[in-house]
Amino acid sequence: MCKPFAVLPVVLHVMRIFAAAFASLLIVSVAHAAAVVDEHLEIELVSARSALAPGQTAWLGLRLKHAPQWHTYWINPGDSGLPTKLAWTLPAGYTAGDIAWPAPKRFDLGELTNFGYDGEALLPVPVNVPADAAIATRAHLAVEAKWLVCHEECIPGKATLTLDLPVAQTAADTPYRQLFAHARASQPQPAPWPAQARLAGDRIEIAVRGTNLPAAPRDGFAVQTRVVANAPPHIEMRHSELLLTFAKSDYFTALPKQFDLVLLDRNARSWLLHADSTEQPTAPNPHR
Amino acid sequence: MSLRISILVAIVATVVNSGAFAAAAIGSAAPDFSLPDASGKTQTLSQYKGKTVVLEWNNPGCPFVQKHYSSGNIPKQQVDATAAGVVWLTINSGATGKQGHLDTQGAQAFIAQYHAAPSAYLFDGDGKVGHLYGAKTTPHMYIIDASGTLRYMGGIDSIPSTDKDDLAKATQYVPQALAELKAGKPVSIATSEPYGCGVKYGP
Repeated sequence: MCKPFAVLPVVLHVMRIFAAAFASLLIVSVAHAAAVVDEHLEIELVSARSALAPGQTAWLGLRLKHAPQWHTYWINPGDSGLPTKLAWTLPAGYTAGDIAWPAPKRFDLGELTNFGYDGEALLPVPVNVPADAAIATRAHLAVEAKWLVCHEECIPGKATLTLDLPVAQTAADTPYRQLFAHARASQPQPAPWPAQARLAGDRIEIAVRGTNLPAAPRDGFAVQTRVVANAPPHIEMRHSELLLTFAKSDYFTALPKQFDLVLLDRNARSWLLHADSTEQPTAPNPHR
Repeated sequence: MSLRISILVAIVATVVNSGAFAAAAIGSAAPDFSLPDASGKTQTLSQYKGKTVVLEWNNPGCPFVQKHYSSGNIPKQQVDATAAGVVWLTINSGATGKQGHLDTQGAQAFIAQYHAAPSAYLFDGDGKVGHLYGAKTTPHMYIIDASGTLRYMGGIDSIPSTDKDDLAKATQYVPQALAELKAGKPVSIATSEPYGCGVKYGP
């Protein structure tokens, strides 16, 4: 039961990594490198396109394939867990943006709630290719990924994943195109509606106004931690407002000026809401 | 009678989870309890009135706990605290068959392996005390002052990770609060969000 700490799984699975790398080579020759295959997670750096175009944004991604019932985490992991973290090593002039997090899933683990991903998931990252990248050269892209994969138990992992891509004016889709398309479709869209957050006793209410509000809202996920409790919000239409009511987090100190949350509907469409807080809390937490 | 007790525990657990009211609250009397320890004795919180008591929720199989033990962080905090007269009670609320559940021999071996120095290692296999305190994760830390008042509840430190490299940059909340209590100062950070593995409570 006692799992080795940190990088050990990676080391232990070197044999399997080679096996996986060899198997992959037979299928695709570009746009991804060796997957790291852990007992509960396969992790790989992949590209949506077969080449990098100078002056353009290239979409790379971390492909995560979880063993059944295992999951990794969203930017707000919930009551326990850790978000997956990336640290890039790129050629001069290249810059990587933040992970474009797809809307998470809710995992109820007894008394704890977690937010994250299971099955096969992709965490897309935009990489800016410099305008002066020389055509017909190859770029070596590397990322150190740190993750926590959990079922009932959790196992931390760390690996450096690499990808060599040619620099070219034209490129083709890679076999990962569908995965990127799916990740893009499950990304929260900027919400066109104004929203306001207010403190109401031990609850936090988010009021969303406007036309064409989601007809079948299903769930809400706070981006910032320590604001609302992680149980699902109560969602209702009230006086043409969409009202999301959360319990306050046990670790709440103040409403952020702008509280960000993801609203998910029954058709798996999602929006990123920025709720302005007009009211300041009446008294600061005396224990902080 | 036992049915009534289990209903009561269920209610307490529900209330703690709802966040509406915590059985263990900063500034309030810490709930009393009695639990068996790894040396076969019974440890009762109220027997330590007059001393500062640290409660540490533990699961030796949890990578977050392993970070703080294999690095020596928690063992050092235990050594320093107990040398200063503080009572350190490590509590395992893991149910039988769950990760990190230990018997007395297992607990003694765990303590020896990491040169840990808790005053006692307590078993709470039915999770009653864990629920009473609202312990969510391992580690999850509580400090009770000499008068029996809860003065700190929360994480072991300020950087949620399983990475030992983060220890040097993190604020260690327990030694900080213990030093403030000893100096007669208010505890500057009395609550924090705990991080770690979920406590492996039984069904």
